[in-house]
Amino acid sequence: MVYLDVLYQAALRLTHSRADAEDIVQETCVRAWRSFHRFNPGTNARAWLYTILRNVFLNHLRHQGRQRLTDVESTWALEDEHETTHARPADPEEHFFQTVLHGDVDRALKTLPLTLREAVVLADLQGLSYKEIADVVGCPIGTVMSRLSRGRALLRAALSEAARAHGYAPEAP
Amino acid sequence: MNCQDFLARLHPYVDGELAVEEMAATGQHAAECRNCDGRLRDEQAFRELLRRQPQEAASTEFRARIAARLRNERRRRLMRPWLIAPATAGALAAIVVLLVRFGMSPTTSLVDELVDKHNVYAQIDQPAELATADRPTIERWFVEHADLRVAVPDFSTAGIRLVGARLTETRDRKAVYLLYEKGSTLLSVFMVPRSPREGRLEGRTVTYRGHDYLTLESKGYHTVVWRDDHATFGLVSMLDNDAILECADRLRGERAAQNRL
Repeated sequence: MVYLDVLYQAALRLTHSRADAEDIVQETCVRAWRSFHRFNPGTNARAWLYTILRNVFLNHLRHQGRQRLTDVESTWALEDEHETTHARPADPEEHFFQTVLHGDVDRALKTLPLTLREAVVLADLQGLSYKEIADVVGCPIGTVMSRLSRGRALLRAALSEAARAHGYAPEAP
Repeated sequence: MNCQDFLARLHPYVDGELAVEEMAATGQHAAECRNCDGRLRDEQAFRELLRRQPQEAASTEFRARIAARLRNERRRRLMRPWLIAPATAGALAAIVVLLVRFGMSPTTSLVDELVDKHNVYAQIDQPAELATADRPTIERWFVEHADLRVAVPDFSTAGIRLVGARLTETRDRKAVYLLYEKGSTLLSVFMVPRSPREGRLEGRTVTYRGHDYLTLESKGYHTVVWRDDHATFGLVSMLDNDAILECADRLRGERAAQNRL
């Protein structure tokens, strides 16, 4: 129960729905409880719970017949294109962050492909280390790093667009 | 370190994921290069923005639900002592074999299936296929559409009103689905014809007014199931267990009366 809030927050950011997040967290708790004998004390309880949460979430998606992680993998090409046109490397001149309104980050996260969204949520909103994320997601640390870098770039691009929509105009170069 | 090296290390630097010497070298470069210092500050501001995002806490109602669910889980576990034994691969395989031999699917029980159906329809505004509170109309409709003689019980004295009926598929069999509501809480009543391949019903045995029922908590829902010679009956709702047992008792009474006719 110590981790209920963090699990709920992660689920909320993955699903963007309180009802879905609650379903997922509830199922995660029950599954965790049932398989607690398989948890190795001394290892990372938080990462272990996130792993279960992620599986429940994927299962949930499958039931709903929505976008799946595999579909996301096949859209890499599209993303790369997107990245080159919109998400330039960090531009120090663009200080649009003050213009970001409440809810913008959530909306922007929603536009991210799932693999990138989960990496950013786990790293930047939940504070997991690269190693922890690699364990949760089941991929090498290098993959975590590249997903984070893509995810953050796309997130920035989406936020910058939102800022522009709110009337923020970057200074002319 | 040049600016390109710095850029390659910017994210892990901000994440604190570089080896000590690399951390130092990267920080050193930022201190000496105005451009890169700007990039670093920008990245830090971006992370700060993400970290600052309001984190919604789980509601107390939700916490209570989880606590109840885990309590229930503990109870179920205590009732099935073999599950406490270390679940070695061999033991698990044995359980699966047993389940298969008894014709029960190890993954979805009938109760789970009913709960899932209830769950789906509980999210729909007008869940009934035939929306009427008139019991004879529903009874006639089932005779016409499913060739089933159905007793439609009246729960109105308990404040539970009939909203309609639908036909539903369960394990390749047509099942009767009656929908009731108390306020906006849905109560589902399922009647599934018996079949030779059906598995055992899951649940804790409860005796209510002289009859045995099986109750179970699934996905936050209460379920009450029982069988007679012709059908399996299942009630699913968020309503409390006693209310559902009372409805079960009335349905049983209704059927008995119908069979006497």
